[in-house]
Amino acid sequence: MLTVEGLQVRYGAITAVKGVSLEISEGELVALLGANGAGKTTTLLAISGALKAAAGRIVFGTEDITSVSPERIVRKGIAMVPETRDVFPDLTVAENLRLGAFIHRRDHSGFERDLKTAMDLFPVLETRADQAAGTLSGGEQQQLVIARALMSRPKLLLLDEPSVGLAPAIVERIFELINRLRERGLTILLVEQNAAQALKCADRVYVMSLGRVAVSGTAAEIASGSNLEEIYLGGQAARQRENHAR
Amino acid sequence: MLGNAIQFVVDALSLGSLYALMALGLVIVYGILRLVNFAYGELIMVTGYTLYLLNGSPFPWLVMAAMAVVMAILTGMATELVAFRPVRERSVTAVLITSFAFSTLLQNAALLFISPRARLVPLPDIFTQTVEIAGVIIPLRNLLTIVCSVLLLSLFALILKRTVLGIALRAAASHFTMARMLGVPANLVISVAFAISGLLAGVVALFWFGRIGSVVPGIGLEPLLVAFIATVIGGMRSLVGAVVGGFLLAFIDISLNYMLPQNLLQFRDAFTFSMVILILLLRPQGLIPGPATGQRT
Amino acid sequence: MLQTKTLVSIVLLVLPVLVLVGMADAIDVRLVTRIATTLCINLVLVLGLQVFMGNSGILSFVHIAFMGIGAYTSGVLSMPLQMKSMALPNLYPVIVAIEVSPYAGMLIGGIAAALVAAVVSYPLMRLTDAAAVITSFALLMVLHTVMVHWNAVTNGPRTLFGVQNATTLPLAAAVAVVMIVVAMAFKESRAGILLRAVRDDEVAAGAIGADVARLRWQGFVLSAFMAGVGGGVWAHFITSYSPAAFYLKETFVILGMLVIGGAATVSGAVLGTFAVTAAFEGLRAAENAINIAGVLPTTLVGLTEIVLALAMIATLILRPGGIVGDREVGALPLLRKSLRIR
Repeated sequence: MLTVEGLQVRYGAITAVKGVSLEISEGELVALLGANGAGKTTTLLAISGALKAAAGRIVFGTEDITSVSPERIVRKGIAMVPETRDVFPDLTVAENLRLGAFIHRRDHSGFERDLKTAMDLFPVLETRADQAAGTLSGGEQQQLVIARALMSRPKLLLLDEPSVGLAPAIVERIFELINRLRERGLTILLVEQNAAQALKCADRVYVMSLGRVAVSGTAAEIASGSNLEEIYLGGQAARQRENHAR
Repeated sequence: MLGNAIQFVVDALSLGSLYALMALGLVIVYGILRLVNFAYGELIMVTGYTLYLLNGSPFPWLVMAAMAVVMAILTGMATELVAFRPVRERSVTAVLITSFAFSTLLQNAALLFISPRARLVPLPDIFTQTVEIAGVIIPLRNLLTIVCSVLLLSLFALILKRTVLGIALRAAASHFTMARMLGVPANLVISVAFAISGLLAGVVALFWFGRIGSVVPGIGLEPLLVAFIATVIGGMRSLVGAVVGGFLLAFIDISLNYMLPQNLLQFRDAFTFSMVILILLLRPQGLIPGPATGQRT
Repeated sequence: MLQTKTLVSIVLLVLPVLVLVGMADAIDVRLVTRIATTLCINLVLVLGLQVFMGNSGILSFVHIAFMGIGAYTSGVLSMPLQMKSMALPNLYPVIVAIEVSPYAGMLIGGIAAALVAAVVSYPLMRLTDAAAVITSFALLMVLHTVMVHWNAVTNGPRTLFGVQNATTLPLAAAVAVVMIVVAMAFKESRAGILLRAVRDDEVAAGAIGADVARLRWQGFVLSAFMAGVGGGVWAHFITSYSPAAFYLKETFVILGMLVIGGAATVSGAVLGTFAVTAAFEGLRAAENAINIAGVLPTTLVGLTEIVLALAMIATLILRPGGIVGDREVGALPLLRKSLRIR
């Protein structure tokens, strides 16, 4: 469904993503793991169009979406939930959700249906429908931004670190939700630092380090096989790999 | 006594309405783009010159006024295309300079193609009529200003709260990139913001010229300063703040007019600007808190 | 501290000024001398603006007001007693008693401007972006209002007559040359380098201990001093002026020169001044010729400013760093190779 080939992204003089290739098939939940600064978020932002690719290709279905603007990428069926959990704090929960359905704003009945689905999945949003989104707790905001992204009826959902900063009990709930979404047929690319949780629900995994994909495989392979700690903390083996690659 | 009070109140409210609308037009653009539009005052100039050029045409004044406001809207959108869009991606400074250059361009175009001398702006008869309340004479125009402003502000508030476009505008002001990632088209939002800005400036212009009656190329400076100051007082990121700032500034100006001794009165503007600087120092976010973003301004 | 390439830059930048003086001397036409003197004075002002704007990255609208302070300080203090009583009848006795030479006046004008800048601006140096720009704009308005209404000292909005005529082309050029050295010296000084670090990354610079507000303040005060001196030199050139000469139009022109040349470098300031002055005078001449010839039904006015505005916008779109960009003229690769500079 989504193919990324040799993606390179720069912040000024710094190349944050140095050539990343990955593939996601329909219905899969693929996890993108790695330490801070590995380039995971940058990769996601490039796919969603928020950042420009310096090199490489991104293909969604049969279309090359490498240099498509974010507002058009959403219309092609890719929705992103950023790590910074950007609710619009002065808009109410209901208004946030309404905005999520912006690209379907003419379909009023469809909107009602989607809204009901969202409220079913995330009951807390119904209770707080008329509250300003900025007053919600971290966990509630996380649910809001996921629900908001779903309102655009995406085929592919990009989730950036949904568990960050949340209490363990809430993290459990979020991952329950993610599993449920997956069961309903949504394709998900999940970036996570919490490797344990991610490995439990993912089909396949890519592990990034210093802007490149260091290791990839099925969740089972990664969980049992490679030394994640080494890759995360940049141990000797990872450095050797880096030098070899250069 | 009552009469004087009423006069003061009407004066303050009518001037305040103008200042509020003026400030609002500036904040709409600043809130979404974080950019100050230095060519904003020229929208008033354009409205005035359009009216001047249409003078003597067979249209009734209301039609001429509408056309003049449309010109302001178009000029606002042109500002975006010429001075903002091509440099948007670069530094904040670049955009400030381009809008400043565009402002000079517009002023000198008027200078060159029309005249450096003042030109009379045609006004409707109703602007010269007065009404008597509690023993004082009040220009009807002032009451009209208040009524028009209230209508415009209510309309605007309604659009912002109830329509999807309004929600999109508020979202874009809060977090532009995130709004885009939900499918809100960036260019559309920006163009709409500039168009609204132009509409507000156009309407303000009609009443502004009602007060002074003629237009010169440099007419835009004073309303621009008013907008700046009102926005700073109220809070540069808050729409409500802009409106409140406008009324507050008008109140301060009129009060200073009454209170300052004659020899200090000429320094009234220096007082007002110094106040701006003080506010920027002590409470840079203005008196009214704006939309929370968690982002650096 | 003073690297070879910096010295080369200074020499290369001073050269055009000397050539200009030489040419004007040779041609010996009053108009040409006037234009050359105006160019040198503009250069002083643009260099002053470059010192602050180029190194701090903050847009400042108040610069020309400091020119005004310098102009009035120098103009009034150097006026002979007789002249003072005619031109400024309400002038305070304290000031009436003082009379200095115009040259001392120019220096004092610079100091006066620097003092005002020092006092007024320290609290403002923490502001950034829009707030800083609006504040500088508000400051321009405040200082302008004061100049327009302080009848005793400035003769109010009216023209002040009787300022001593002491500025010759050699003098203006000498001041310009000194300012080139000053601007370059500041840029390569510790303060200048740190200030540019702040410009490029405020957080990182703070992390290495740069006192952001103080650095900006230093740049701002030096910049005001230069503007004040420039104002003094100009005052004794034009000999009569009003506060209207220190307002938006002039701000626009000086800013345009810097932006088009390139704000980041002293070379940019010099190039911009020469380029824009040349274009300006050319356009003015064309305007006058057309007006005199009566080719068009109306008199052309404002064309020069329109062209300058378009040039500024075009520069910012196409080459946002200005014509010169980031490197001083002495650091250009071609030059370095041919002179074998490290």
